Amino acid sequence: MSGGGRARLSFLIPLVGFLVLAGFATLALVATLRGERDVSQLPSAMIGKPAPSAPLPDLLDGDRTVSPAEFAGKPFLVNVFASWCAPCRAEAPALAILSEEIAILGIAYKDRPEDSRDFLASYGNPFAAIGIDRDGEAGMKWGVYGVPETFLVDASGTIVLRHAGPIDRRVLDEVLRPAIGGLP
Amino acid sequence: MIPAAWSVKLCMTGSGAQKIGLVLVMLLMMAAAPPATAITPEEMLADPALESRARALSKQLRCLVCQNQSIDDSDAELARDLRLEVRKRLAAGASDRDILASIRATYGDYVLLNPPVSPGTYILWAAPVVTVLGGLVIMLAGRRRREDDRAAPTPDSGTDQVTATRGDGRVALALACLVMSASLGIYLVLGRADLPSRPLADRGAEIAAAAEQAQDAARDRDEALREAREQTEKTPDDAGAWLRLAMAAAASADSATEIMALETAEGLTNADPAIRAMRAEAMARAAEGQVTLPARELIAEILADSPGEPRALYLSGLAAYQDEDYAGAVAIWRRLQTLSAPDAPWMSLLADNIADAARSAGIDPNSVTPAPGPDAAAIAEAAEMTESDRAAMIDGMVEGLAARLAESPRDVDGWRRLVRAYRVLERPEDTQRALIGLADATPGDITTQLSALEHMVVAGLEDGFITDAQRLLDRVETLDPQRPEGLYIRGHFARHEGDPDRARALWEMLYSRLPEDAPIGPELRKAIDNL
Repeated sequence: MSGGGRARLSFLIPLVGFLVLAGFATLALVATLRGERDVSQLPSAMIGKPAPSAPLPDLLDGDRTVSPAEFAGKPFLVNVFASWCAPCRAEAPALAILSEEIAILGIAYKDRPEDSRDFLASYGNPFAAIGIDRDGEAGMKWGVYGVPETFLVDASGTIVLRHAGPIDRRVLDEVLRPAIGGLP
Repeated sequence: MIPAAWSVKLCMTGSGAQKIGLVLVMLLMMAAAPPATAITPEEMLADPALESRARALSKQLRCLVCQNQSIDDSDAELARDLRLEVRKRLAAGASDRDILASIRATYGDYVLLNPPVSPGTYILWAAPVVTVLGGLVIMLAGRRRREDDRAAPTPDSGTDQVTATRGDGRVALALACLVMSASLGIYLVLGRADLPSRPLADRGAEIAAAAEQAQDAARDRDEALREAREQTEKTPDDAGAWLRLAMAAAASADSATEIMALETAEGLTNADPAIRAMRAEAMARAAEGQVTLPARELIAEILADSPGEPRALYLSGLAAYQDEDYAGAVAIWRRLQTLSAPDAPWMSLLADNIADAARSAGIDPNSVTPAPGPDAAAIAEAAEMTESDRAAMIDGMVEGLAARLAESPRDVDGWRRLVRAYRVLERPEDTQRALIGLADATPGDITTQLSALEHMVVAGLEDGFITDAQRLLDRVETLDPQRPEGLYIRGHFARHEGDPDRARALWEMLYSRLPEDAPIGPELRKAIDNL
């Protein structure tokens, strides 16, 4: 009857398969519900890669250009923003606080320069320099897919962190500051 | 494409063939759906070979801000940027592989709709193969067992076999029930459609994305408005440019610009009735959909000149609807129906509105005869007439209505129409008479009494209608002695008849009932002091 025993168990195979899948799904669901896993946050492929270094026209001085290369040697933040982006207004206070701790390079993404300037006049200018990315080409080099996005670049010019979405108190204290503090 | 008749025939042959037929029909329906794509003509490359490569690449790239759409399918701005990037590089001579590699380098594996084979995706790629192989193994094992059973049915082991199989069956049934009830439980806890969705606060990212999209759209609209405005500056004599500006302004909800542009276009087109009607609509839109008095006057003027102007007729029906004259609204809209081509774009909206108004009035829309206005033939005739003939025709229509009402003074809707007609014809005394007729037809309705009295005050007609006024004032007092408008008007008439003490008493009562910050407060105080 050994053949019969094997046959008796064979119907369990699909059930076990189902339970394994259900287990994975449950883990993912629990992580999402507890807020440990954010389905909207995709990993950036740019982590560990050198920051794009193409120079951009300077928003505040038409004759100059700004380039991430100018910031090399010290860690800095790159913040991609636009005047038409509501969450960018929301993160203005957090950027103002951060600007006293680390240099921030602003990239005005798909925005009219005069609108960007108005935006900075209304919500404050936390940036050490601002480059104009009128058609979003620079944004594409950074792998940006929506503003605001913030990148942390280390002293060697390598991207070490990306945050998509506005910076609030929690992101400031739990994500950015530890990451900045962890850099040499 | 297989002819429809064939697929029907496929469905109607025997049961096995029927299943295949159904599947075929379903497949055909999918094939018949037009291919969804978001690409716009100006994005396309001139070289068809390059363009087809661009399309093929676009279909492999995920729109990162959408839910599982390729950039070829998506209207999102980022998808458009990526499409343009792909085309730019193709035009520069890059190979398909280079393009995919460079986009993947910045946006990661996730941007590829076909995930690459890598240690992280082995399970993903292996899963279908494992599933199919597993299924085959189970099938073969089951078949071998059945063959074994048939090959060796010994009498004594036979009963064992039967009980064993039966036992297997019971366990399997129990497990199946367990899985079913577990699924049902999970569904009831998490999946029920009527459960409240996740709290709004958790959806910050989604809200931000939606806000961003709205901002993008607003930016595009602003752009269009600016371009249209520049065009009118370049060609200020082109009515078309002004109309385009009006439409761009309408899209940006900039009513002031819209009305200004339409006015200019009117001036350039010798007061085209369609454009005037658009202006009336813009005025109503500026007032959050309320057909305001100035808009009504304009509509009436348009209808006097061109009684069949559809937009003006529509708005005139809307005005009646907003006056809660639902029967009147149905009548006007029904008339618009009879005048419109059966395939006119507004017909379905119109039918909905008529049904709605008829419901509010509690009537069967079909029982309402279209408003007693001229039919299409009469309008065509009117278009041929001279100005004075036309005026005579309109006067004739109005006098006819007035004569009918003299005979049946209880026709409330008739009085309302007559009031509107006289208002438009700017005949204040006739308007006053019609308003009084309306008030007398609705003696229990304080608003009609008040509006007749109000008109008397505004038009300065107190002396000519003093006995009517007295009757209406008595009704107002009986219906609601405390009503503020009533107090004011009663005070006004008391003063008018030389009884300042009574006027003061009434106005003081009104004043004491006004809220602290009522804008008319100081003026009322001044009027009391002047008594």
